[in-house]
Amino acid sequence: MTQEEEGVMEKKLVIIGGGAGGASVAAEARRRDPSLSIAMIEKGKYVSASA
Amino acid sequence: MPYYIGDVIKDEKSLVARTPEKFRETGVDVLLENGVEAIDRAQKTVRLADGSAVPYDILVLGTGTEAFVPRVPGVGMEGVFVLKTLPDAIAMKSYLREKQCRKAVIVGAGFIGLEMCEALRNLDIETEVIDLSIRPATRWDPEFSKVMHDEMTRHAVRFSPNTGLTSIEEGNYRRLRLNTTRGEVEADMILLAIGVKPNVQLAADAGLQIGKSGAIQVDFSQRTSDEDVYAVGDCCEVYHRVSRKWTHIPLGDVANKQGRVAGVNIGGGAAIFPGVVGAQSFKLFDLGAAATGIDEAEAKRSGYHPVSTIIWGNAIAHSLPGEKRLGIKLVADRATGMLLGAQAAGVKGAVERINTLSCALWAGMRLEDIAVLDFAYAPPFSTAWDPIHIAARDLMKKI
Repeated sequence: MTQEEEGVMEKKLVIIGGGAGGASVAAEARRRDPSLSIAMIEKGKYVSASA
Repeated sequence: MPYYIGDVIKDEKSLVARTPEKFRETGVDVLLENGVEAIDRAQKTVRLADGSAVPYDILVLGTGTEAFVPRVPGVGMEGVFVLKTLPDAIAMKSYLREKQCRKAVIVGAGFIGLEMCEALRNLDIETEVIDLSIRPATRWDPEFSKVMHDEMTRHAVRFSPNTGLTSIEEGNYRRLRLNTTRGEVEADMILLAIGVKPNVQLAADAGLQIGKSGAIQVDFSQRTSDEDVYAVGDCCEVYHRVSRKWTHIPLGDVANKQGRVAGVNIGGGAAIFPGVVGAQSFKLFDLGAAATGIDEAEAKRSGYHPVSTIIWGNAIAHSLPGEKRLGIKLVADRATGMLLGAQAAGVKGAVERINTLSCALWAGMRLEDIAVLDFAYAPPFSTAWDPIHIAARDLMKKI
C-alpha cells in the first residue's frame, strides 16, 4: 500500500541526538508542521542540556 | 557547565533548556538512553541498540562531538574526567564534593580548560594547567596569552608550558600522578580538556559525505549528501564567511541556529544557514577574552594578504576609577582594506567590541569605515575615540 492509497500516513521525522541542534530541529519542525511524526533518539539521559 | 561545577549555578536542572516531558507534550517522542547502531539509507530505517528498527522519511543527525582523550595509560582511572556532557559535569561536581580534592590538574589550555580554572579556584582547589604549547589560548595573539597567563598567576593558577601527558598512575601523596614530558605532578583530580572531535561514525558508515574538516558535509539548508538526511550542530561543518571555507566550529549557539534552519526546511518552509564569522568568547577570572574572524595564518592559507595591529586603549573613560585597559587586535587584508579578524582581552568591554566587529565582518566592512563607525558614547561605557577606532586607524597606515 502506498502513502497516497492510505491517505493518512504521516511523514516520519527521526532525529538522532537530543543536544542543542537536534532539540532545535524537533521544536521548529513541530511548530511548522503539526502533522509530522517526530522521534528524537538520545543515547544519554538528558536532552537539550547546555554546555 | 564550568559555572555549575564552580557552584555559581547550584542546580543542574537550570542547564536543561527543555525537558523530555516538555517535548512529549508537543507530540515529540523522546527515546532516552537508546543509541543508534546503524542507518540503512536504502530501507530508510535506523537500527537501535535494543535491536529495534525505526523507519524514517526524513532523518536528522545531531550526533555532536566527543571529548578527545589522549591515548596514554591511566586515562580511565577514577578521578580523571572530561567535560562534554551534563552527566560529565554532574560526576565531576560530586567527585569534587565527596573526595576532598585539594589539587587539580587541567590538561589543555583551551577555553574549556581556562574556564575551569575559575571554577576550581572558587572551590578553593589548588589548580595547575599543563599544555603542549608554549602559551595558553593559542587562538589568541601571544600578547593576549601573556595577559591571560598573568591573570592565572594572579589567581594562584600555575601554568606549565611545553608539557605533554605521558601517563597517569596512582599517586603517592595525592590520589593520582601525572607523568609528563617535563616531570611528575600529583593531583586528586585530572580534567582532560584537549579538544573535541565530531561524531561522524554513523554518517560515514552510512556512506554520507564527510568534509575536509572531518565533520559531516552539509549544504546551506543543512542537508547532507543524501537529500532525505540532514545534519546539525557540532557533528557537521559550517560555512565560514571570512575564510569562505567549510570548517568545523563546534559551538552551541551555532547548533541552535542550524537546528532551526533544518526544522524550518523539514516543516515545509524555506531557510538557509548563512554561516558564521567565528565569534567566540570566554571568561578567565576577571578577564574577558573574545575573538572573531580569522588570524593571520588562516588568512594566508585562504589567499588573503594579512596585516595586523594590536593597540591598548581604555574600555571606559580614562578618568573613571577601576581597571579598564582593553587590548584590541585587528587583522585586515592589504589588497582590499577589508577586516578579516579581531581579538580582544580586558576586564571590561572585550566581548562587546568583538560583537561589534563581528557585525563588521558579517557586512564585509573595510577599515576606513570601521575607523569612523558611530558608537553609543558615554564615559561610563566607552571613550570618545573607542579602542576600535584607534586600532582601525592604526592598521590603515599599513595598507
